[in-house]
Amino acid sequence: MKKQLEEILKNGLAQIEVAADLKQLDDVRLKFLGKTGELTTILRGMKDVPAEERREVGTLANSVREQIEAALSQKLADLENEKLRLDMEKEKVDITEPSTGTKRGALHPLTRFNNKFMELCVEMGFTVIQTPEIETDYYNFEALNVPKNHPSRDMQDSLYITDTILMRTHTSPAQVHAMETLKPPFKIVCPGRVYRNDDDSSHSPIFNQFEALVIDENVSLKDFMIMVREMAERLYGKDVKMRVRPAFFPFTEPSIEIDATCQMCHGKGCSLCKGTGFSEFFGGGIVNPKILEMSGIDSKKYSGFAFGPGIDRSVMITNKIPNIKYLFRNDMRFLKQMR
Amino acid sequence: MKISYKWLNDFVDVADISPKEIADKLTASGFEVEDMQRLDEHLHDVYVGRIDKIEKHPEADRLVVCKVDVGFKKVQIVTSATNVFEGALVPVSLEGADLANGVKIKPTVFRGVESDGMFCSGQELGIDENYFEGAGIDGILILPKDLVPGTKIADALCLDDVVFDINVTPNRPDCNSVVGIAREVCAIFGKKFKECDLTYKTVGENVNNYVSVKVETPNCPRYLAAYVKNIKLERSPLWLRSRLFASGIKPINTMVDITNYVLVEQGQPMHAFDYKFLDGHKIDVRQAKANEKIAVLNGQTYNLDENVMVIADASKPVVIAGVIGGVNSCISESTTETVFECAVFDVRLTARKFGLRTDSSAVYEKGVNINNPTTAMRRALHLVCQLGCGEIVDGIIDVCSKKLGDRKKLVLSYSKVLKILGVDIPKNKVVEILTNLGISTQLVGDVLTCEPPILREDLENENDIAEEIIRIFGYDVYNDAQGVVFENCAKTIGQFHPRLVLENNLKNILVDEGFFETLNYSLYSSTACDKLLLSQDDERRKVIAIANPISEDLSTARTLMAHALLLDISFNLSVGNKEMRLFEVGKTYQPKSLPLNELPVENSRLSFAVCESGWDFFRFKGVVENLLLNFPIEYHLQRSGQTYLHSGVSADIVTTDGRVIGWFGKLHKTVLKNYAITQDVFYGELDVDFLASLPEKQYATKEISKYPSVERDIAVVVDENVTNEQLLSAIKSACGKNFLGTQLFDVYRSDVLGAGKRSMAYKITLGSDEKTLTGDEVAAVIKKVLKGLEFRFGAKLREV
Repeated sequence: MKKQLEEILKNGLAQIEVAADLKQLDDVRLKFLGKTGELTTILRGMKDVPAEERREVGTLANSVREQIEAALSQKLADLENEKLRLDMEKEKVDITEPSTGTKRGALHPLTRFNNKFMELCVEMGFTVIQTPEIETDYYNFEALNVPKNHPSRDMQDSLYITDTILMRTHTSPAQVHAMETLKPPFKIVCPGRVYRNDDDSSHSPIFNQFEALVIDENVSLKDFMIMVREMAERLYGKDVKMRVRPAFFPFTEPSIEIDATCQMCHGKGCSLCKGTGFSEFFGGGIVNPKILEMSGIDSKKYSGFAFGPGIDRSVMITNKIPNIKYLFRNDMRFLKQMR
Repeated sequence: MKISYKWLNDFVDVADISPKEIADKLTASGFEVEDMQRLDEHLHDVYVGRIDKIEKHPEADRLVVCKVDVGFKKVQIVTSATNVFEGALVPVSLEGADLANGVKIKPTVFRGVESDGMFCSGQELGIDENYFEGAGIDGILILPKDLVPGTKIADALCLDDVVFDINVTPNRPDCNSVVGIAREVCAIFGKKFKECDLTYKTVGENVNNYVSVKVETPNCPRYLAAYVKNIKLERSPLWLRSRLFASGIKPINTMVDITNYVLVEQGQPMHAFDYKFLDGHKIDVRQAKANEKIAVLNGQTYNLDENVMVIADASKPVVIAGVIGGVNSCISESTTETVFECAVFDVRLTARKFGLRTDSSAVYEKGVNINNPTTAMRRALHLVCQLGCGEIVDGIIDVCSKKLGDRKKLVLSYSKVLKILGVDIPKNKVVEILTNLGISTQLVGDVLTCEPPILREDLENENDIAEEIIRIFGYDVYNDAQGVVFENCAKTIGQFHPRLVLENNLKNILVDEGFFETLNYSLYSSTACDKLLLSQDDERRKVIAIANPISEDLSTARTLMAHALLLDISFNLSVGNKEMRLFEVGKTYQPKSLPLNELPVENSRLSFAVCESGWDFFRFKGVVENLLLNFPIEYHLQRSGQTYLHSGVSADIVTTDGRVIGWFGKLHKTVLKNYAITQDVFYGELDVDFLASLPEKQYATKEISKYPSVERDIAVVVDENVTNEQLLSAIKSACGKNFLGTQLFDVYRSDVLGAGKRSMAYKITLGSDEKTLTGDEVAAVIKKVLKGLEFRFGAKLREV
């Protein structure tokens, strides 16, 4: 009897092992554990076993059954896993095929630059404002110390609508609006479009600037420089180098032009920076007290600085855009590169 | 302006400073030297040579062989020139020369005869007949006999000079002159200004016996006249010609050259009249009369009016004042007596009238100081004496309507000046810098007293003086300025602009929907209104026109957004880009009245368009809905009133109070044709300013029912003119309090249904907060729905 059980165990495990699918495995189960299965038969015949052996044989028989059942369930799990594996194998895809669904478009590089810069300004305490693009002569020129017939007007060929209304030539009128409506101290920045009577390969008649103005007590040209450096470092990184040059703007005195490391060549010198390694960053200076007075701010108590660059050039540099005309051409081949 | 190094040296000793250093320092102090050009750049290795002997070339009839003495050696030159002769002095270019026309010289063999170099023509040396006699001929330049062989040709031609091209800013009209720049150079290098010679001899008599001056216009605050007789009109001396040449001015004759010389040196335009053509020997400065005419030196004849200031004699205008001389009174070969004019004019009215600008009017536009003519006239008369080209009659007529300026005294705060700069500059340095700029300066305690030179009208306050100090002290101090940002400022809290934030939100929604942002010009051609089929009475046909447009395409401020995106699509299709989704946030400019007498309404708008397969009205509508999702508004759609949209496939977006806040739909086929677009385009537009005016959307959520909801599908057949919106609203009201939602999921048309009919299939979701609805309850609701639809729209439950 013992021998028989050992034989069953051996055969059973062997047959479970070779079962190739669930059907075969079930056949094996029936063969050994079914109602007429070999082991079932033996277990039924236990009553014929002499009493003194019954205990030993019984233990053995139970052990055999347990082992076969364990092997069966193990094999069952294996076969099910194998089937899943094969099913998934059939569902395999070429992961390099293109994605489907809506692909994102892109913001214009100018918007990206503007957003980045406005975020920086707000963090530094500036309030973003907006003022009209079609302006009066007073706000565009006179209140900025450019009286009628002043030669500075030659520097900016204007697009006029009437004798007193024109397309603003710069965002500087925002300074005047701010000074007239806000109570110092304040910091404002105004991004926007400006217009010039100028259209050639390197100039666009419509371009983008921002104007910023800080009015406070006790501000100096050095404070201005420290702020500009902070802005340049946040935009271009800590290792940016700065260079200050004299400049003339009718509304600031003293006026300076500030260059920063050329971001096209990172200071090595390229065609854009004419080999100098620097490109124009900001122009500005200390607000001319005449302007403060004209807009109703006490120049004895308050001073300030105003600055504002063209943005388009910075957008070109930071995005390595080869031609300024790309900015307004809206060619999909260009726009898609902004994704 | 162009200024020569040698000329500068007349007024400040710069012999020990290199031109490069002068250029760098001028640039650093606010006078940008845009270009620096050596006049002798192409004259090295060219010398004065004397032809000692000319022999025939043994092998060539058209060549001769010349033995030439170039001072430091004898050379042999083979030439085909026919105007050379033995004993002639000529320019000889030797090995290494690199001529203005690009020719590089090296020894060459001509038919077996060696030539050490080449004789040069005036053209090859970069000069013409005006500059040097003989330079204009088609042949070798024959040099004056008094030159010594071996002299560098640059020296012989007085071209050993450097020209600075300086950008003078508008606040410094006093520096549009050699003397002005020389004063700056003095201040920069701490040198002394050398006054120029203003002395001259007269022949007695009295200028008033020859000419009288009357000024009848406020546009001429000062007019000086002098009389010179027995003038000799000849070529000016080489040194004078070379300076005009360096400044880009063509030498003509002594009298004209003197006026131009004074213009460049003193920044003072002058004019010389031919006395015999001054009718009545009168000079009358006045505004022109209507219908007066003048023929001027540029060959034009102008009809004048009262906007134009002229110099007239007793009968006619002879000069457009400060701008250009008339042909009837200018210096010519027959001139023997002249009247010199040295005046201050406001030429802007004239210039605007004609758009005519000359060297002289440009200087006047920049500003000529009322004190300037005194020195300039004396300088001109000195030159007449120096050149010996005329006899000067005693006296200068001076008609001046303004008080000549005294030097003004500025009493300023020294500490305020330093506070503006934020840099500590020692007191003695401040005084030194200002003094070197010609500003008489005293510093006692905090009181800084400055008396600027009379020509420095720009200096008025602490800021001006601060700039003077720092530009000479050097801006470099700021290159590495360190410190805490806004250390000396009050804390302010930054704020974004609400409309710009909103624009960004809308932009990002569209970017997520696969759109690309464009940037378009906000000026366009007014033909846009026609291309977009606007009706004749459309308000948006009232456009703001630019008075001086760059081109027709940029001639009006836009009142319509669609034009720009359609041009973008058209352009992209033309370059082979087939599919695109584009948008723009920009402004339209609607005048309140025309002509414009107040600022127009600037309206920020969002426009977006799709030109791509796989899109229909409803997909595009989905984009519009997503854009409007986050605003606290209820809106409905109406058939659009936009002429450029397809009348059947477009909608206006209307708020409950009847305001049209945007529109969208398929483009009208004619519009597509007008823009040469061959595919369907869907276009939409929203009023961003309106959306920005809305408060933030508030959310109030309801409790979710504990009981399960049930769904039932129905399909009804209705007439085509019954809308989804009508059906939805009927279903909702029929469901009453058990209504949770409904959705159209299928639209079906077929012959079986009949013409003008369609089947609309809805999924209706029902539920209750109080219990689970029973099957009977649900059936009752659906029955009510169907009855309602049948009653209101004749809708039949679909059976096929």
